[in-house]
Amino acid sequence: MTKANTKTNSGKLTKRDLFRANWRWLWGSQLSWNYERMMAPGYFYAVLPFLKRWYKDDELVEMMQMQTQFFNVNAYVGNFIIGVDLALEESQGIKSKDTVAGIKTGLMGPLAGIGDTIFSAIIPTICGSIGAYMGLRGNPLGSILWILVDIIILFLRFSFLPMGYYQGTKLIDSASGKLNAITDSAILLGVTVVGALIPTVIKAKVPYIFHTGKITLKMQTILNQIMPSLVPVLLVTLVYWLLGKKGVTSTKMIWFVLILGIVLSYFHILG
Amino acid sequence: MTIAWWQILLLTCLAFWVIIDQLTVSILNNPLAIGMVSGIIMGDITTGLAVGSTLQLMVLGVSTYGGASMPDFMTGAIVGTVYAVLSGKGIQFAIGLAVPVGLLMVQLDVLARFINTIFQHRMDKFIKENNPDSAARNALWGTFSWGLSRAIPVFILLIVGNDVVRMILRVIPTWLTNGLKVSGGILPVVGIAILLRYLPTKRFISYLAIGFIAASYMKIPMLGVALLGAALAYIHYQREVAKLEEKPATTNTNNTESEEYENDEGEYEN
Repeated sequence: MTKANTKTNSGKLTKRDLFRANWRWLWGSQLSWNYERMMAPGYFYAVLPFLKRWYKDDELVEMMQMQTQFFNVNAYVGNFIIGVDLALEESQGIKSKDTVAGIKTGLMGPLAGIGDTIFSAIIPTICGSIGAYMGLRGNPLGSILWILVDIIILFLRFSFLPMGYYQGTKLIDSASGKLNAITDSAILLGVTVVGALIPTVIKAKVPYIFHTGKITLKMQTILNQIMPSLVPVLLVTLVYWLLGKKGVTSTKMIWFVLILGIVLSYFHILG
Repeated sequence: MTIAWWQILLLTCLAFWVIIDQLTVSILNNPLAIGMVSGIIMGDITTGLAVGSTLQLMVLGVSTYGGASMPDFMTGAIVGTVYAVLSGKGIQFAIGLAVPVGLLMVQLDVLARFINTIFQHRMDKFIKENNPDSAARNALWGTFSWGLSRAIPVFILLIVGNDVVRMILRVIPTWLTNGLKVSGGILPVVGIAILLRYLPTKRFISYLAIGFIAASYMKIPMLGVALLGAALAYIHYQREVAKLEEKPATTNTNNTESEEYENDEGEYEN
């Protein structure tokens, strides 16, 4: 640290400033995502106008270097951290450097957890299940609804950064109980929908027919009497079990099922 | 049916936008929507929806991987829809072609992420020289590495598409086309299983059963099951909040629970 400028940054950030940071985060957050430091370029891009406003020369270089360190979070909710960061830097100036670096690494884990569960798992599960169910029957309504949901979420994303700026870290602690309840309920809904997906979207018919004397018996009918959609349930169980094995990835499973389908079809077990 | 030059152009632009959309505004961020849009461009929205829907079901859980390359079935949806419309061989056959495309796209995704490392290093250099504006520009140049990683292969596949599809159709034996149809029918199994691995399914196993019974035995349509689930979720939420108000020290149990399903996630992540 050269020539410590202890003067704190005067002049509160306006709503327009916060919107600007949000806007830059929205577009920049992942465009230069890379293996080395993941979302670091995006974070840097979002806060840069403020760094330029608050620091000069060596201090600016120092803060720019701090803001390009490793960073990875869920893009939907990561802007909350920028809000907290801006509030800190605005009041503390360059003294906040270590605190900001700590808060960035400290918050990115929990926020990624919440964001990934809600926005990357549950909402795509619910919207995707309904949309695909309708889409398979040629109905575009489900897909259009999902696009509308995405637009609503896009607007919602703009509220996280101001939330971080005004409420800061205390919000995560105070709301965590309720947040857990909401996440849990959302998961419950997701799991229920997935349960309904198994019999409706997996197409696995057994074509085998028994001939004994004059009686013909369709294998599928027998299976249905044991349990409707027995084959889909067994297939899901098999793949679920295999995914628990070491070294099994989703890509390997897709190849496995692709080949399994061809083999089962060849032997007329499925068709 | 053949493909017109303007269709190739629009679909290539769509391929470029698909990944940029995913990284930024996330409005068309799913194979279903991309299938629908491709269907509109190809003049056959039903086929686009069917291809998009099938691919959507395969990737239900796949998007939960943070930062890892995943099969790109949005690009797959473009190619699959085009091939389904051009070949007239049916949706499940087109899925059999779209899936390998989506899987091979992983390699190009990795390449794009590597190229972006170059921009990162250029940023470091400009920051050292106290040149913030040039550094900021490098934060955006990834647009081209990402966008072209999708647009170029789609363009090539569409240019050679007509003849190649016809040639493939002539060469492929019937057992394979039939097999691909069966595979297309059961591939959603993967998406569902991954999702069940990611979610704390064991804790909510009875709700999985309720959803299954409602759809399979009671034949309730999907939207109805979703409403049933929403009602159950609301009951759960009320109970949880009531528990919180009784004794606010329950956060500890919640923490251990969330750790539990991070482990589940770790089981299949490599």
